[in-house]
Amino acid sequence: MSTTTKTIGNDSKSPIKYSKDRKVGEGTYAVVYLGNQISTQRKIAIKEIKTGIFKDGLDMSAIREVKYLQELKHPNVIELVDVFSTTNNLNLVLEFLPCDLEVLIKDTTIVFKSADIKSWLLMTLRGIHHCHRNFILHRDLKPNNLLLAPDGELKIADFGLARSLGNPNEDLSSNVVTRWYRAPELLFGAKHYTGAVDIWSIGIIFAELMLRTPYLPGKDDVDQLDVTFRALGTPTEQIWPNVSNLPMYNALRVYPPPSRQELRNRFSAATEKALDLLISMTQLDPSRRCDSTQALLHEFFTESPRPTEPENLPKKKVKKSNDEDESEGGTKRRKL
Amino acid sequence: MKESTTDTKSSSEGSEENPEAKRKRISNDDLYRRSTQFEIWSYTAESLEAAKKKANAAGQIIATKRFNEAFAELKKASPEVFENNKDKLNPESLLNLITFEEESKYLNYYTPNIIQIAKFFKMPTQVKLTAVSFFKKFYLENSVMQYHPKNIMYTCVFLAAKSENYFVSIESFVKALKGTDAKDILDLEFIILSSLKFTLLVHHPFRPLYGFFLDFQAVLLHPSPLMYDVSVNTLGTLYDKAKNWLNENAVLSDVAFLFTPPQIALAAMYDVDKRVTDRYLKRKFLRDHADKLDDIKEEPENGDVKKEEAKVKIEGDKNIDNDAADSTATKTHGETSDIQTQREQYETLVRTIRKCIKVAKQVSKSPQDEVKEIDRKCFFALNPRKLIEKQVKKIAKEAAPSEVV
Repeated sequence: MSTTTKTIGNDSKSPIKYSKDRKVGEGTYAVVYLGNQISTQRKIAIKEIKTGIFKDGLDMSAIREVKYLQELKHPNVIELVDVFSTTNNLNLVLEFLPCDLEVLIKDTTIVFKSADIKSWLLMTLRGIHHCHRNFILHRDLKPNNLLLAPDGELKIADFGLARSLGNPNEDLSSNVVTRWYRAPELLFGAKHYTGAVDIWSIGIIFAELMLRTPYLPGKDDVDQLDVTFRALGTPTEQIWPNVSNLPMYNALRVYPPPSRQELRNRFSAATEKALDLLISMTQLDPSRRCDSTQALLHEFFTESPRPTEPENLPKKKVKKSNDEDESEGGTKRRKL
Repeated sequence: MKESTTDTKSSSEGSEENPEAKRKRISNDDLYRRSTQFEIWSYTAESLEAAKKKANAAGQIIATKRFNEAFAELKKASPEVFENNKDKLNPESLLNLITFEEESKYLNYYTPNIIQIAKFFKMPTQVKLTAVSFFKKFYLENSVMQYHPKNIMYTCVFLAAKSENYFVSIESFVKALKGTDAKDILDLEFIILSSLKFTLLVHHPFRPLYGFFLDFQAVLLHPSPLMYDVSVNTLGTLYDKAKNWLNENAVLSDVAFLFTPPQIALAAMYDVDKRVTDRYLKRKFLRDHADKLDDIKEEPENGDVKKEEAKVKIEGDKNIDNDAADSTATKTHGETSDIQTQREQYETLVRTIRKCIKVAKQVSKSPQDEVKEIDRKCFFALNPRKLIEKQVKKIAKEAAPSEVV
């Protein structure tokens, strides 16, 4: 198939299994290639993690990514197809996912129907539900980490910040999650938190899908507090007991919580049920926020319209030139 | 690597198309069965022993090969010495490999040291347990005749600390370990990761233990206490003792390869306080009949069970061809088989718990002098050249006086 294909295999034991076709990205600790699984001709991405270049050995993000993806097999979580080593490089073979939600949100030529948004939200929640029931927090949910398969299925990716939950008395770092999607308890420096931080992020992504622009775009950590509370109200002891005990609690500006009508105005296309769910996912007090089960069972998902079938969801616009990935994605229909 | 298993169903599938499978809830047990700990690292007693033997046998082959190479090389360098001293310089008499039993003893000696190192760095329990798990898994895949346990042990602690989010920089780590360089550790890190088959998540019994602690309270104290001498305080003591039990027994043993974390947690509680734990289990598994059973004396109770057993057997035979024999039986035969299933579950669990306790307490301390000898053998298995050279020197020394005379 491909012309200049470099083939690689599992060190010594097994025969050549994957081809690396072209480099598509390079980060601080990894290089990403596109390739094929030779036995099936399935498209895959190979994340080659450099080892031996870091002072402290294997990089923590790489360790986390391998650790959690090995355990999580779910239609809405990126699949780790294989792990193998080549002369001291760690290679993660991941399923090939050509697009992400951020690209679609930014492409203003694409229209999102409310059924489309519902479908993406549903798939995100299913994926995170699977993480949470396995006691795994993602801690970096944002549109950029919600990847889209050629068949439209949404997959949660990038587990470089993930961690296990549920060892009593253990401190957690509050310096997680990309700023705009960071829950208020994290902004206040909480050392104990739960899956509610992921639910918050998904709530903010839900809002962004409706607004087509980031909902709470703080310029820095201080501004993030201001932007967040201007939109959702400043937390008080009354609505969030003990909030003032959090290490970095700060209520310099006290904004009133938004009225229902204000939210209706802001999210003009949202139904009442959609607003209910959004409000439930963005409760300032994490203990009042819904969890993934409650979110999945929310009436928003059972009211009309039905969520769009993944294969009918909007896709990245195909540039006329070359994009073979896209045409292939179009023909590979999902079996239902 | 394994194929991804059953959950390839598309997200839109389910409700209408497959009413049979509908409403089957995913339990924690289902989730555990899909963990790498269950899929890759769970054994029966026999298969675990076989894996250890295989690692030892492979190590012997490698050590033999290494020995033969060194022997051939040294022989080539000074053929006359080897020729003249065939009785003392031959592979048969020199090669002294570590047996399976010795390897087990040797590893048992090292395991507690892992905990000491982790304690030294004030690492949380989680890191200790994960490091021990890594170490044990590594030596199911490799032998001490390939990799000396000392640096493997250090590297397991270093990697476990990272994997459990308790980062220690390599400088401060090696600074505390005399005679070990950063390179020794970093070079092994990747080898260990490969031997672990790139699986790092380890489920420990402490979380389920905490869960049982809460559930014991719910079941035994609410709405009103079931046992006159059991309170939140006594359950708290039970919980603390069970934690110690896990730290002292379970950690060093092979239970993690043979039992699930909740089974191990229950074993700890059962061994610490059999009476309370058994009451909890009865209440849980025989809940509808628990009170009745408690009133019945031993003999009639057994009599009832036998009758029930007989009944179910006859009726069970009819269902033998039925794939869903279990569920059908419960549904159609009603209460009798319900009680029966519950009783069987309860009895199986208690049997499993007892087995687990036995395995957890099996670890014997390896005697210091024996370990020293194995350590010497291990050194020479890894450095056969030194062994042969030593023998050559010895021969030369023995020969020397006579030459002088």
